[in-house]
Amino acid sequence: MAFTAPPDDAVKYVESLVWLPYHYVAGDYRAVYLRALKDKRILGSRCDKTGKVFVPPVINSPESFAPCSEIVEVSDCGTITTFCIVNIPVIGRNLELPYVAASVVLDGADIPIFALIQECRPEEVHMGMRVEAVWKPDGERQGDHEDILHFRPTSRPRSGEWPRPL
Amino acid sequence: MQFADVVVEPMTLRQVMEFPYKHSTGPVVGRFLAGLKEQRQIWGRRVAGGAVVVPPQGFSEWDGSACSEWVPVADEGTVVAVARVWQPVERLHPFAEPFAYILVRLDGADTAMLHVAKADFEHVRIGSRVRAIWGADGERRGSIWDIREFRLARAS
Repeated sequence: MAFTAPPDDAVKYVESLVWLPYHYVAGDYRAVYLRALKDKRILGSRCDKTGKVFVPPVINSPESFAPCSEIVEVSDCGTITTFCIVNIPVIGRNLELPYVAASVVLDGADIPIFALIQECRPEEVHMGMRVEAVWKPDGERQGDHEDILHFRPTSRPRSGEWPRPL
Repeated sequence: MQFADVVVEPMTLRQVMEFPYKHSTGPVVGRFLAGLKEQRQIWGRRVAGGAVVVPPQGFSEWDGSACSEWVPVADEGTVVAVARVWQPVERLHPFAEPFAYILVRLDGADTAMLHVAKADFEHVRIGSRVRAIWGADGERRGSIWDIREFRLARAS
């Protein structure tokens, strides 16, 4: 059978799947930090030179570049420094809109962490607001970031007992 | 407590990232693939100077001039390069078992096409004569895999 030309009706596309299996290793500092979440404890590291406390713990201070060799515990209660009310849905996240994403400086820490604020109306959120972590119940915590469900308003005052040496 | 004193069990996470691509074939490769599917025929295109390019392109890779006529080529040809894969990587390579990538210059073509040898992959060498093994009628979907593989052509 002889053809004079290929079919006019061209194939429109071909499919190909790029499949990338990753194997992440947390590293010593991050592993210690994540395992502590299981015990409802938030750890940081203290700069050997400036004494500042970083959460989650880092090996070297991004400011002084000195090692942060001491491990300390900070409070699960802190202060909102800045925040954002989110009104646009993000694929892969099923939070009810609007919700509040905030920077929270935990008592005892010198840099903020990123936190989800719930159990209050978004318009009540303000800079300087005191919030506390809401933990997953005992037995359900896995040692990952989702062990803290969210932060909520609290009347607990800022405490000087943090950071605590471990 | 100093971090140096902490005994840490390694902590790891396995995660897969997937990108499901649909590549537009364009009119030239689209008709080439339709030829595999509907006609069981491999097509090339003639470029300025008379060479036949397989798989076909819209323009000559030598001088950029537009290709002219479609030219049918044989599904049998000569191997010009072989790369054997002894330890295929899951999903990166097309098969789980060892195979060979081959460049085959089909009879009637002036360029070599990339494909694979499976059954004979240990015996396929540069200069070997190979022929296409086609997918059955009704199973060809308009993809380069409508040719399943190349095998050594019987000595004649």
